Amino acid sequence: MSKIFDYYAILGVDPKAEATAIRIAFEALQNSFPPAERDRARNADYQRLVNAYEVLSDPVRRATYDSLLVETTMVDLDIALTLSRDNIEVSDTEQRLYLLVDIRPPKQSSGQQLPLNLCLVIDRSTSMQGRRLDAVRAAVELVIEKLTPSDVLSIVSFSDRAEVVASAQPLSHKPGILRGLHAIEASGGTEIYQGLAAGVKELRQSPLAEYSNHLILLTDGHTYGDDKQCLELAARTAVEGIGITAFGIGSDWNDQFLDQLVAPSGGPSGFIEQPKSVVQKLQERITGMGTVYAQNMRLQRSFPDFLSLEYGYKIVPFAQPLVLDDSVIRLGNVEGRSRLAFLLEMNIQPQTVERRLSIPINLVADIPARQMQQQTFNQNVRVNVLKNAQMQEPPEPIVEAVRMLNMYRMNERVWEEVEAGDLEAAARRMRHLTTRLLEAGEPQLARQANFEAERILQAGTMSLDGRKKLKFGTRALVTRTTYFDDDDND
Amino acid sequence: MIRCIECGSNQYVGALFCTECGAFLVAQISKGQTTILPFSEFTVHAPPPPLTKEELETAVTPRQVTFVIPSSRRRLQLELHDEIRVGRAGTELIPELDLSPDDGAEKGVSRLHASIKSVKKGIVLIDLDSTNGTMLNTYRLPPNRPYPLKNGDEIRFGDLLTHIFID
Repeated sequence: MSKIFDYYAILGVDPKAEATAIRIAFEALQNSFPPAERDRARNADYQRLVNAYEVLSDPVRRATYDSLLVETTMVDLDIALTLSRDNIEVSDTEQRLYLLVDIRPPKQSSGQQLPLNLCLVIDRSTSMQGRRLDAVRAAVELVIEKLTPSDVLSIVSFSDRAEVVASAQPLSHKPGILRGLHAIEASGGTEIYQGLAAGVKELRQSPLAEYSNHLILLTDGHTYGDDKQCLELAARTAVEGIGITAFGIGSDWNDQFLDQLVAPSGGPSGFIEQPKSVVQKLQERITGMGTVYAQNMRLQRSFPDFLSLEYGYKIVPFAQPLVLDDSVIRLGNVEGRSRLAFLLEMNIQPQTVERRLSIPINLVADIPARQMQQQTFNQNVRVNVLKNAQMQEPPEPIVEAVRMLNMYRMNERVWEEVEAGDLEAAARRMRHLTTRLLEAGEPQLARQANFEAERILQAGTMSLDGRKKLKFGTRALVTRTTYFDDDDND
Repeated sequence: MIRCIECGSNQYVGALFCTECGAFLVAQISKGQTTILPFSEFTVHAPPPPLTKEELETAVTPRQVTFVIPSSRRRLQLELHDEIRVGRAGTELIPELDLSPDDGAEKGVSRLHASIKSVKKGIVLIDLDSTNGTMLNTYRLPPNRPYPLKNGDEIRFGDLLTHIFID
């Protein structure tokens, strides 16, 4: 957006100037060109002037232009704001608006290569015995291969208590790490807090400011009675700059709890259906972790009264619903050279007169490469309230993202309806979802949805396995849409 | 609010996909199918004339009639001999077209709401002085008067939308 010509400056008029003022300004400037030089093809200055006037003299194009014109306090991050429409109707009812926020690190930036300070926290409860624990061991070995000697790795295993398998040390001590890893034996219950607390302690052995700090939890069960402690710890460590990722293996774990656990640091939670995919999931997660441009990105939840934020969803680098209960919305890091993109769903309160609304998007992040803490990035995006707003085609990336998110949310609603005992509504919605998944070219998920619809009517609930498959399957759809899938570095 | 044409649920103006059934709402608008008019009050034109007496003589040959109820995704085929009564099944009466499985009660369908008859001129719809009325396409029907039905007509019994297909 920073590359947009400032048409108002070219014409020398105020952004609020009336149409007549714009015409007068244009005619005066046009007359300053000798007639021979009024050739758009040959004279770039004249061309720019005519372009500016063509846009600003057309109310529709001017409105579009205005909404693109964003105020940037700092051009360090490339922040693009796209609305589902630039003009809304004068109306006595609430209207819905979607905003896509796409943040990229500056192109010339090397992307500060911070060494990783990584702690793997591994559930070793009885249920992890056999293939699950074997798969985790194999995955960890591969992770170690991916790390560089300056990275610090620690491994903690836990059941109802925690053991440090490998204390935090730079990777020059590989053999010791592997030995500890193979000695892990499965037995006991699942108390996640024990593991988290020991893991955080290991991470804190290193000066956190000099590293990119991450804790990756791998679990296959429900934690017993320490949920609250876990969430408090996650909130505290997020402020310190420790990111938490949580993976659930198999089908018997609490997805809502893991979602909450990763929310404060804006990390991902994921579903590992088969032990054999542990390796892939872990590798995906670690890629790009070390190159951090902006850390602990958050969006200030300070919106004007005319707007209410209904829903938020992170799309890139991974799909994750945003937690909106706080005064800030945690977005995690801008990793490597990839971008950070999220979608906001908003309602605009009834608008009775024509006016222009300005929506502030205030982001805060730490930039380690420049040793800057709490750097703010403030922008505004504008939307016009018009009496006869013309129908606009909504931008394709927003349409595709909302299409996929809507399926994820339909699935979540089904679960709510099942829990509330409204089985008919749940089954009906699940059938709708089946249709939509088929339309979206997702036959496997559609088959699962169809199966669950029948099951809801017959057994009164969804299968544990199906619930997770659909939840995480539909959640991931959005990152596969063309606009977000190409992880281009151009 | 706008109304999703696929499932009939209310959606915000500007919403891209129906939260209930997942339909793409913008496609509906660009096809000109979604109205932002109030649901029950769009009698902008005078209703078509009711049929005359001789046109109303009962027809002899039975006909096949298909009803499609989008909100509950039901599709019913009924044989129309002389009359199909429309309403909700109760202890006294079970109408041929029973709309109770389609949330008929919540959507304002009366016990005996309307009647569809096969006559010489074709098929007619008669509102039986129902509490919440009957709409034929955009017309609110006055009670107890027969109006001709065409293949593909949209009928609302109270707030319940149905489509009728005549063989």
